[in-house]
Amino acid sequence: MSAAIETEGLGKRYRRQWALTDCTLSIPAGHVVGLVGPNGAGKTTLLSLAVGLLAPDAGTIEVLGGMPGAGPTQLARVGFLAQDSPVYAGLSVADHLKLGARLNPGWDEGLARGRVDRLDLDPGQKAGTLSGGQRAQLALTLAIAKRPELLILDEPVASLDPLARREFLADLMQAVAEQQLSVVLSSHLVADLERVCDYLIVLVGSRVRVAGPVDELLATHHLLSGPYRDPATLPGGLKVISASHTDVQTTLLVRTSGGILDPAWTVFQVGLEDLVLAYMSQATGRRRRDNHHLEVRK
Amino acid sequence: MIWLTWRQFRIQTLAAAAALAAFAILLAATGPHLASLYAASAITGCHGGTCLTAVSGFLSRLSVTSPYSLVYELGIGLILAAPAIIGIFWGAPLIARELETRTFTLVWNQSITRTRWLAVKLTLTGLAAMAVTEALSLMFAWWADPIAKATGLSQGFLVFPPFTGGRFSSLIFTTHGITPLGYAAFAFTLGTATGALIRRAVPAMAVTLAIFAAVQLAMPLWVRPHLIPPDHTVATIESAQLDFGNLTATVVPGHQGAWIITSAAINAAGHPVSTLPAPCLGPPDAKAPNPGQCMESRGYREAITYEPASRYWPIQWIETGIFLALALTLAGFCFWRLGRRRT
Repeated sequence: MSAAIETEGLGKRYRRQWALTDCTLSIPAGHVVGLVGPNGAGKTTLLSLAVGLLAPDAGTIEVLGGMPGAGPTQLARVGFLAQDSPVYAGLSVADHLKLGARLNPGWDEGLARGRVDRLDLDPGQKAGTLSGGQRAQLALTLAIAKRPELLILDEPVASLDPLARREFLADLMQAVAEQQLSVVLSSHLVADLERVCDYLIVLVGSRVRVAGPVDELLATHHLLSGPYRDPATLPGGLKVISASHTDVQTTLLVRTSGGILDPAWTVFQVGLEDLVLAYMSQATGRRRRDNHHLEVRK
Repeated sequence: MIWLTWRQFRIQTLAAAAALAAFAILLAATGPHLASLYAASAITGCHGGTCLTAVSGFLSRLSVTSPYSLVYELGIGLILAAPAIIGIFWGAPLIARELETRTFTLVWNQSITRTRWLAVKLTLTGLAAMAVTEALSLMFAWWADPIAKATGLSQGFLVFPPFTGGRFSSLIFTTHGITPLGYAAFAFTLGTATGALIRRAVPAMAVTLAIFAAVQLAMPLWVRPHLIPPDHTVATIESAQLDFGNLTATVVPGHQGAWIITSAAINAAGHPVSTLPAPCLGPPDAKAPNPGQCMESRGYREAITYEPASRYWPIQWIETGIFLALALTLAGFCFWRLGRRRT
């Protein structure tokens, strides 16, 4: 399995502020990868670096084994859909397709036309008057019809209403199935990703908290409920992601490769959303504790 | 990419074409009559004193009776303003608008490097900017040819506003010859670079206008006279045909059509004077029937620095070259700025 995106100590700074620091990750190709994290985790910065719209200030990044945006060939291999899917307001839908046809040697005119017909976009309509959902569909059409190997989408559905969101994702999945695309899409909403992704990366504060195939993540994480117990006394092989206690009861989210044998626990299936939230709150909880230490020291 | 440049630039091109066409119609409608007035003025083939009479008749007729002074001023104003308008409306939004509307994320992710994108845009739009401005200038030069001939002959004696200057005067020099090419290229790339730096179209437009206006003003005032070191001469009061109001020379003896940069009367000791010496203010007497002879007899001379007429084209080339070099530098800045990918 080759890597779609591979970074090593990657960092990006805006003036004094680091938007991404020391980020090392490997996103596999051949998957629909969900990149999830809270606002400010560095998702947009990471994806902009991956398409070469930004240059790193530290570390390295390789996309499909090449330097992002390095030349026409590399640009042709990667499709990108930016947040809010910007399009030229003054240009019509047909103009946008022509733009794609003129600027991409690998342009698939049949695919583009087919999509526009199927999505019921009026070729003569100015892109500025399209609805948010239609605009996203048009931008996706441009990104797909250039026949990239890897499609990168930054918060593609964040600004869409639930119905448009569902349609967009269904349409995206269809395109992926037809064209064997690798996809990386970011979101701060797990529910969106759950529907489409088969691989998940949780990014908090430039760090990968957990990464893996969705099936595997779901199979190895369990929600345990039982009589009060200090997590420190648990057997090895169980990694506690989050724990909550009442006087008599303990609830744990754990990761383990084996089964849960202790009959004292009641084992529940864990949903993807709970799993992601556990990893995100784990990170923020740690940060909160750090802040607390700082305050004490002061 | 050529198609995209044209598609995004279509309205501006049509607007420029419409302005050119309107200007051409105006000039074509008034030009032949202007030429016939000139033909009737007996300037062609005049000798010595008759020339001044003929020129005076021609220019005074133009300045009072006709739309010509208006067209003349409009033409000069248009050629002066064209580069600024181009810099503001073609240059400043070229990169800034893409950044502002975030459409750069779309266009810079097609299978074409942004260097190529910028190269095509700058080249095509820049050449259009130069062509439009130079076309305005050439059309106007054709129309104003009779006026240029007449003012050339009048040598600064006759002042019929707005036909006041010879071809070295700041407004005429800036709007004629090849300098409009340089100004257009400079203003356009200035706008583009400002847009790339400020990243917002409207502020970039304002800054472009401010900088270009300052440069357009500074060039004739402080730079142009030094492009080729001027010559110096000391002439007699008589031969310099002094304007006694401020004691400046109106001609350089032996150099017809020269550009007088500075001139001042100097006394016998070689010190400059700024007003008519007291003895020459009184009523003329037999010994000195006019102020000139009066000054002459007291040892006054006129010191002049000037550029001979033969340096018109060398100075045109140097000035144009300077602006083209500035334009290339600014274009280089745009490439560097985009190459750094700080978007």
